[in-house]
Amino acid sequence: MKRLTLFDYGAGNLHSLGKALAETGHDVRVETDPRRAVETDLLVLPGVGAFQLAAARMASGREEMRAALESGLPAIGICLGMQLLFDESEEGEGRGLGVIPGRVERIRSPRVPHIGWNGVEPVDEGAFARAGLEVAYYAHSFVCRPEDERVVTAWTTEGDDRFPAAVRKDRIAGVQFHPEKSSREGVALLAEMVREALR
Amino acid sequence: MSLTRRLIVCLDVAGGRVVKGVQFEALRDVGDPVELAERYEQAGADEIVYLDISASAEERATLLDLARRTAERLFVPLTIGGGIRTADDVGRALRAGADKVGINSAALARPEVLTESAGRFGAQCVVASIDARREGEGWRVYSHGGRTPTEREAVAWARECVERGAGEILLTSIDRDGARDGYDLELTRAVAGAVHVPVIASGGAGNAAHVRDALQTGHADAALVAGILHDGVTTVGAIKSVLADAGLPIRRRAA
Repeated sequence: MKRLTLFDYGAGNLHSLGKALAETGHDVRVETDPRRAVETDLLVLPGVGAFQLAAARMASGREEMRAALESGLPAIGICLGMQLLFDESEEGEGRGLGVIPGRVERIRSPRVPHIGWNGVEPVDEGAFARAGLEVAYYAHSFVCRPEDERVVTAWTTEGDDRFPAAVRKDRIAGVQFHPEKSSREGVALLAEMVREALR
Repeated sequence: MSLTRRLIVCLDVAGGRVVKGVQFEALRDVGDPVELAERYEQAGADEIVYLDISASAEERATLLDLARRTAERLFVPLTIGGGIRTADDVGRALRAGADKVGINSAALARPEVLTESAGRFGAQCVVASIDARREGEGWRVYSHGGRTPTEREAVAWARECVERGAGEILLTSIDRDGARDGYDLELTRAVAGAVHVPVIASGGAGNAAHVRDALQTGHADAALVAGILHDGVTTVGAIKSVLADAGLPIRRRAA
């Protein structure tokens, strides 16, 4: 059994995500101190709140967290948590972890926020196919623009915008949608991501 | 692909129980919101809404516990509405297990609550809930569960809610609510055309064709359904089949 740690920025609902992670059979903990959060086998950055506030909560341990990820600590970022893997965001002040080069920008679509279920187009067969996840639940106004598109493992299209639904770089993965809110298939995808991250 | 149109199931709760028992597909009368929410998720509902209609503070105190119990078992989004007054209330509801929070009377009394909530938690979790009644050529906004008329006009108020930070509009026609003769399509279309955030049509669903019309003719992004599902008049699957036949993009459960 491995230890999975949910970093809690104090904003939102962690219950569904905690429960979905617990279904993998691993030990799930919630940690509010960013420095202690990296004492784990897998760091999970959850997805609720505003970038500025989350970046501020992370600031005191940003360097430790970044160093841990750079030296191979597996991590999964969800929605805002995925955005925090990047350098900075148009949404607000503060620095992301910068472990995936790129910026976070406002989505270019007629309806903002982008709320609801949208299709996910995986770049290759893999976790999405195994989980059976074809449509996922989104609730966000900003999207990630990686400098190197080779990190993108799945795309989603809305209006004129095509943006990363999922990214992966080494042992760091992120999803823009909420797997813990994407029904059973979403929970199955999260389990696949945990499995891949701990491999 | 693009965003699918959503079918949202609403449960009225008070004191942590559904107010009126629900006959779920000819099964026994079920009063536990968590069990019902799970069943609707399995049936293909895209989201669940709990509308808290508690009459007393004692009853209302059970809502956060209910949200917590639900979030541990429900894996589609949960919105909670009813009795939310401040950004701190929004925070407590999110913390307990809600993904989104509906704000109605409190926004009419003090619109800043929308801005404060969006600033702290993001616009995507702030749902401006608007109850409107037709009056002449327009629609008047009512507060306090549709009982108290305000000086606001619905389309203008929807615009203001979005400017102040709401990420979604839950639009209920008081005239149609419970009547089962169809959504107010003109109201829905007027508001959907006036704002850039998703609009959820509510009030008046009597059959699957009404839901289709709210999405197709009313231009709503989502439709809220309650009574006709709870009474067994139709099912989530049957409504989605009608939507699919009309060419609307919807989410289907994987086979």
